[in-house]
Amino acid sequence: MSAIRTVTKYVDDARIIYKALNGIVVLYKPPVLHFNNLRETVISNLCRELNDMHTRPPMKHVAIEGETNKPMKVVVRNSFADHPLVVGPRYQLNDFRMGTTKIMQKDVSGVLVCGINAGNQLIHKIKTSQSLRFYKIKGLLGEATDNYFHTGKVVEKSTYAHVRRGHLDKLCSSMQSTHQRKMFELCGVDIQSQAAYELAVKGLLRPADSNIPMIYTVKCVDFSPPEFMLEVVCTNETDLYLKAIIHDLGLKLRSNATCTQVLCIQDGLFNIKHALLSKHWTLQNIVTNIQICQNVINQNEHILHQKNPALIEPSNYIDTIE
Amino acid sequence: MLNTIKTSLRRCVQQPSRIIQLNKIENKTVSKPLPVFRYSISDERDHRVYVWGLADHGALGTLKTTMFDKGISYIPKPKRLVFGEKHDVTNITCGYGFTAFAVRSKDKNILYGSGINTDSQLGFNEMDRKFPNGLITEPRLINLPVKDSSTKVLDMAAGRAHLLVLTDEGLFTLGNNAYGQCGRPIIPEENYEKSRVIHHIPNIKEKKIKAVTAGQDHSVLLTECGEVYTFGWGADGQTGLAHYRNEYRPSLVKGDLAGQHIIKIACVADCVLALSDKGIVFGWGNSEYAQLFMEGENQQINIATELSALKQSGHIVDIASGGCFCMVLNNVGDVYVWGYGILGLGPEVKKVSQPTKIPSVLFGNNAYQKNTKVVKIFCGMSHLAALTNMGDLYMWGCNKFGSLGLGDLKDQYFPLKVTVGAQVKKVACGIDHTVALCKPFI
Repeated sequence: MSAIRTVTKYVDDARIIYKALNGIVVLYKPPVLHFNNLRETVISNLCRELNDMHTRPPMKHVAIEGETNKPMKVVVRNSFADHPLVVGPRYQLNDFRMGTTKIMQKDVSGVLVCGINAGNQLIHKIKTSQSLRFYKIKGLLGEATDNYFHTGKVVEKSTYAHVRRGHLDKLCSSMQSTHQRKMFELCGVDIQSQAAYELAVKGLLRPADSNIPMIYTVKCVDFSPPEFMLEVVCTNETDLYLKAIIHDLGLKLRSNATCTQVLCIQDGLFNIKHALLSKHWTLQNIVTNIQICQNVINQNEHILHQKNPALIEPSNYIDTIE
Repeated sequence: MLNTIKTSLRRCVQQPSRIIQLNKIENKTVSKPLPVFRYSISDERDHRVYVWGLADHGALGTLKTTMFDKGISYIPKPKRLVFGEKHDVTNITCGYGFTAFAVRSKDKNILYGSGINTDSQLGFNEMDRKFPNGLITEPRLINLPVKDSSTKVLDMAAGRAHLLVLTDEGLFTLGNNAYGQCGRPIIPEENYEKSRVIHHIPNIKEKKIKAVTAGQDHSVLLTECGEVYTFGWGADGQTGLAHYRNEYRPSLVKGDLAGQHIIKIACVADCVLALSDKGIVFGWGNSEYAQLFMEGENQQINIATELSALKQSGHIVDIASGGCFCMVLNNVGDVYVWGYGILGLGPEVKKVSQPTKIPSVLFGNNAYQKNTKVVKIFCGMSHLAALTNMGDLYMWGCNKFGSLGLGDLKDQYFPLKVTVGAQVKKVACGIDHTVALCKPFI
């Protein structure tokens, strides 16, 4: 990291840095912000910092001046047609393309893997490889809302004094094994065939269709009524699907529950340790982050070319977010 | 679980209309406080009974909301039985087309049954006239001649057409006695229809009976000191009495069992397995499909034989025997199968002569769930079931009339979880139906 910092100190040409801004960056998305706003913020940060550097000088305008019956003068001066005050700053929002593996809605926070410019090709590959995402979801017992999130209107209230940790654990394990059964049905082969058996023996599988949410783990990691926290490992999920899990769990617990936080702690290979907080969404940090992510990808080439329907053992798995 | 998908989809559809509604409500300023509901939760002793499989003969105890295949009604998915809510069910057993429920109650009404009653295996009751063809389609009381109202049912077993009920006061046998399987002298040409005969065996040679098991047409009793007594049909040697004749007197099984303390017997048809407290498995009876690892011409074994092929499988803790295959479970939680038919080793494996392990990954033991292991195993005639420590039920095998509870009629070639809405405690597999005794989650 220190080596990179010295490099950026000497490079003050925005053009060189712009060319280097190709790759994957991991950001920490705060809640309430939609992905589109996040993208705008990050790109405008990049533009502002690039524009503060030495940018491309305006193009030259060649003019041949003077009276026509006398020897004329060739004058070269800065072209007003290319002046920043006329055409706007050198780097603008449209100069950056930024995609992500998962468009996060407002309520979701946490790890967001984004591609900048050429990095979007990598993003597309990671997306099609259906990498796993790890979530920590917080729930609040005792009330249900109309949009399954704590921001919604409360539609029902109930008591929750009877709920114990054991109840939650039992329900979660049942939910998990039922989802894992679904996995065999969705793996894309006839369940009665030998191929299905051979796949099943391998363990966890990816769904053949990338639109079907698939949950691999639902585990209660914290229970202090009325709050509880679940850890969910899934792929192809939507934020509503995760919130609905909390809602359903509440009903099964003979109470109500609403979701208060959806936090993504890991997306494929990138976990929360890699993620840049919003105060660090600066040019220098983003360039550094691109380098780190490139190293991670170089070490795990397999995520880009997923050929095996079976999941690989989770490697850099994190237990706590602190 | 799957509700999540449903609600998720429903919300997506409702989204636009809801926003309009919300705006309206906001204008009104609702100020009324919401009531706080208090939902009922289950009692400590509550049990749930789930049933699935063929419903036509009434063994499921319900004929409502069934599906039809060629005019035969069946339930392909676990269905909660209302009977289980009204009564405190403690034990269940499935015979060939009938089910018996043991109930905890203050009076003498401790046994209920439903299903085929052609041989009075569910006893006689005046009210049976309303059911046609000797089929009882909803659980009906079976009057046992017990003396004390505090008597409890300890164990039950059901065969093709006989029922064994072990209570504090001894063993009661009902139903067909053509081979002496009820433990009373065989009467030729006996009419079993609308028979009121219930035979009572208080004990065997002053030894209390601990457990009962029933094969197709024979019965096996286990005494407190670990001895095994059998009676009934012996044509395949399934009584283990060193002959092939029928025997109505409970008699001690001959062979390697001497000196062994047997803790469990498993039998559905005519191949019997016995498990000793040292984890050794013995077998006798039919070995047509090499269930007892017999070589050569002899396909019937009429004395108990130690199954030495199971030595490599470790300490066995549970056994199950089906129509043409056997299954054992060791203390590590590994399930071994052998025999013929759908064994859970994929569609290409039809016959296995040596005990073969079913990969534990098929029972939900994977990278994210490392502590799952099988704790109990059960067999029907052609379907197999395993119960994990998480309370999940896995089933596989021949899916006659949806008896696997997987929601369809397709045979299942490897263990797949059955979605029961409670923690499964015990499963009773019949020929074409299955009943599960469960604990509610909350």
